[in-house]
Amino acid sequence: MAQTVETNVALQNVLATIEIERKKIASTQTKGYLFIVLGIVVGVGGSILGFPIPAIIVGLIPFVYGGILHYKISANLTAYKQAYKQDVVGAALKFLDESLTIQPSMGIQAQEFVYTQLFTQEPDRYNTEDLVNGSAGKTGFYFAEVHAEYKTVTQTKNGTRTEWHDIFKGIIFVADFNKNFNGITIVRPKDFGAAFGAWFSKNIFSFGGSDVVKLENTDFEKTFVTHGSDQVEARYILTPAMMERILNLNHQSKYNISLSFIGSRMHIAFPLQRNYFEAPVFKSLMDPSTVNEDIAVIKFMYDIVKELDLNTRIWGKA
Amino acid sequence: MIIVIIIIVVVVLIGIFFYNSLIAKKNQVTNAFSAIDVMLKKRFDLIPNLVEVVKQYTNYEQGTLTKIVELRSRAASGNISNAEKAELDARLSSSVKGLMVNVENYPDLKANTNFINLQTTWTESEEQIAAARRTYNSAVTDYNNSIMMFPGSLFAGMLNFQPIAVLETAAEERKNISAKELFNN
Repeated sequence: MAQTVETNVALQNVLATIEIERKKIASTQTKGYLFIVLGIVVGVGGSILGFPIPAIIVGLIPFVYGGILHYKISANLTAYKQAYKQDVVGAALKFLDESLTIQPSMGIQAQEFVYTQLFTQEPDRYNTEDLVNGSAGKTGFYFAEVHAEYKTVTQTKNGTRTEWHDIFKGIIFVADFNKNFNGITIVRPKDFGAAFGAWFSKNIFSFGGSDVVKLENTDFEKTFVTHGSDQVEARYILTPAMMERILNLNHQSKYNISLSFIGSRMHIAFPLQRNYFEAPVFKSLMDPSTVNEDIAVIKFMYDIVKELDLNTRIWGKA
Repeated sequence: MIIVIIIIVVVVLIGIFFYNSLIAKKNQVTNAFSAIDVMLKKRFDLIPNLVEVVKQYTNYEQGTLTKIVELRSRAASGNISNAEKAELDARLSSSVKGLMVNVENYPDLKANTNFINLQTTWTESEEQIAAARRTYNSAVTDYNNSIMMFPGSLFAGMLNFQPIAVLETAAEERKNISAKELFNN
């Protein structure tokens, strides 16, 4: 990628156009906040000074006006966020590869999330957005932001308390794998639970039915626990070279990734803290760092195909 | 008295558990070897087609082809030990590898769809055999570990469980590739 965001004329033009809209929204929102604060100050200040009723009535006027400003700009804000995804992220995608497209309201559905078996827990609340589709060479892929949670209900003195816990927050990446396989192979990070589960099924229930796949690469074994419905097939997929590539990919991610190979596809879960592809309101779009972070994540996903060498198609799969 | 009985029962149960787990591991080794066997058979079955296709396009590789056919019929004869089979496979695969390199000299053959299909199937079978061998080696290591480590070693000694050798790559495959040698061939 010789061109950067700063030198890409098409992208800069798109950014300049929607930057005008951003400034308008930012200034209206700032004004709105100022009126709201003014209203509160008048109301609270007047009450402290001993004439609460007139102070609250007078304070209510700027407070309501501030609220109206926010309400009036909210439609513009939605349109602006949409435009950012479609035009800016869309242009950035095209700039990387013509085949890439984004559908902000689409995602990876909950059924597919469960089907990937990347996580053992089924979600009770599930959100997904920003589906990016495309291909790198011969390999088709897609990815989307996913937030899956489960809930716990505990009894307290005052009734029940519901708490939500993350199963996964980040990006799920799905690509067509370059080899044929029939079974299921799952690679999960080796946390305490997974390590204990693997040890237990290998050593305590080792009557030939264990699905833990013990691989030769010691770094890989330290980082991940592999489960497979077919021991030979798991190794056919996870060749020594593939294990090295997965480790490399994992080093580039802040948190340990999970992978699964099911139904001729590979799925990778990248846990992330940030919500990507969201338009900033109080930060200039012309600041390259704003868009660069989104572009970096797209490029990272696009490069996985190269990184894992998925375009090498010499194993009888077209 | 009861304590003694409990201790005896626990010891017997532990004994049964370790014995069963050793047997399971041994069976896994046998099972893993049969997986290699299946893959090898699949690969041997590709040979007649490969030879047929190559024959149509070249008159120069007769020596190699005859050698490949001969190795294949020996490998398929069924009266050979596992070690011999592995050795035959190693020779067969190096001959086919040589043939694949020489195919570069025959553009018509290289472009033949049947040949391209066979070539991909061959590479796939190589990868599958490699995976099966790794599975076998992993099962063997697991088995060897349990018969050599305490308390498995006690049972292994009593029941005469012997360590099994892992499959090693053929010396030829382990050699570093030398460009000079490739060009001299």
